[in-house]
Amino acid sequence: MADPLLTLVQWLSPAFPVGGFAYSHGLEWAIAAGELRDAPTLAPWIEETLRFGAGRNDAILIAQCLAEGADIPALAALAQALAASRERLVESMEQGRAFLAVTNRLTGDDWPPMPYPVALGAAARALGLAPVTVVSLYLHAFASNLVQAGVRFIPLGQTEGQKVLAGLHPCISALADEAAAASIDDLGGGAMRGDLAAMRHETMEVRIFRT
Amino acid sequence: MPDGSVTGMLQRSRGEGFASLSLQQGRVRLGTLRQVGSAKVILPRSHGPVPEVVFLNTSGGLTGGDRLSFGLDLGPGATAVATTQTAERAYASAAGRAELRVDFRVGQGGRLDWLPQETILFDRSSLCRRTIADLTGDATFLMAEMIVLGRAAMGETLQSLTLTDWREIRRDGQPLLVEPLRLTGAALGRAATTGTQRALATIVLAAPGAEDALAPVRAALPEGIEAAASAWAGRCVVRLMAPDSLPLKRAVAQVLLVLRDGRPLPRVWQI
Repeated sequence: MADPLLTLVQWLSPAFPVGGFAYSHGLEWAIAAGELRDAPTLAPWIEETLRFGAGRNDAILIAQCLAEGADIPALAALAQALAASRERLVESMEQGRAFLAVTNRLTGDDWPPMPYPVALGAAARALGLAPVTVVSLYLHAFASNLVQAGVRFIPLGQTEGQKVLAGLHPCISALADEAAAASIDDLGGGAMRGDLAAMRHETMEVRIFRT
Repeated sequence: MPDGSVTGMLQRSRGEGFASLSLQQGRVRLGTLRQVGSAKVILPRSHGPVPEVVFLNTSGGLTGGDRLSFGLDLGPGATAVATTQTAERAYASAAGRAELRVDFRVGQGGRLDWLPQETILFDRSSLCRRTIADLTGDATFLMAEMIVLGRAAMGETLQSLTLTDWREIRRDGQPLLVEPLRLTGAALGRAATTGTQRALATIVLAAPGAEDALAPVRAALPEGIEAAASAWAGRCVVRLMAPDSLPLKRAVAQVLLVLRDGRPLPRVWQI
């Protein structure tokens, strides 16, 4: 019997083919606009994206997917409706689709394309891991992907990027605890400027990232 | 309980205002009208092709413990505009939270434009609002929600507040767009949240082909305020942020002009 923790680590590793490197969650706009120009400006932006933006909502959705009797199709529909902009939906759906294309083959499941957090949550149900574990590893991968976008596009040194990521660990752990105890009604956020950055990315003339 | 603030002067209020309108022989007619407590529904004396329904909270503001609900049902093919008589004010709460429910149903072929005036949040306010629009078939729903974080002109700065403002649009029972705005003191004034802005708006057009509005809406976005638009699969979403309520309202009005094919704003709007 495979170690479920190692399975999860494999699914969330940067080498797993979900194509996360192509999505910046609007960071590309904020970097091009000069708002994010170094580690001290990047770190709080990512932390706020985690605490008040998609990070926390994804965390709650994953925890809901892992709950007993979870209605996965309903959570998938809700996750799609929560997309703040066209590119946010693309980012979530495309990664979810790519994730399930591989995990369905690995596990023998037959999940239809779903937004990434719900896809992960649905697939992770069979692992039997604590929701806090699944959510923290997901948030860590999410944060790591955004840090990498900063490292490549600002650019930052690799060590500086890793420092930013390490600094986000307490926030990730706190959010995972919060999400594990949350209900659907706790969804929500106020990362309005982050959402605006994602929307403004759509009209950038030169783009490296898809979002 | 009274602590010298405005909270002590307000009584806990309860209210329910509901109306239903239907299309009969080419005219929109009133079905049910229910007004309880501090909620009032003001309907035009004679219904034009697009009646304007105005909701009013006669208690003059919301504070902890208040419960208020507004509702409007539009039958198949019926079209209406709904708004609020004045800006809604959420005052400091000594205890508990104010709860506001807003429920709409729009029948096949109908259209509802929900254009409430701004909601002003005062320091230490606690407001929980749920706005649910249930659309049937190809119904159209336009929503413009404006939140003002204190009044800049009065020198107000918010330190603490709790806002949970769940906005949900469903089509044939399926969630189409859910925006659960959730603001606390800790979330305010950060780079990725509200930055230096104190007035926030979200405009949503939910309609078949809403994507067609994207180009004209982008062209109408005013310079000098933070705003952007996006559209996908029957939704066109615009977000705007400004330093204060007036520039925000003017910008929202500009966008609404495009999304309402040049029709004027509700008469009660104060700009």
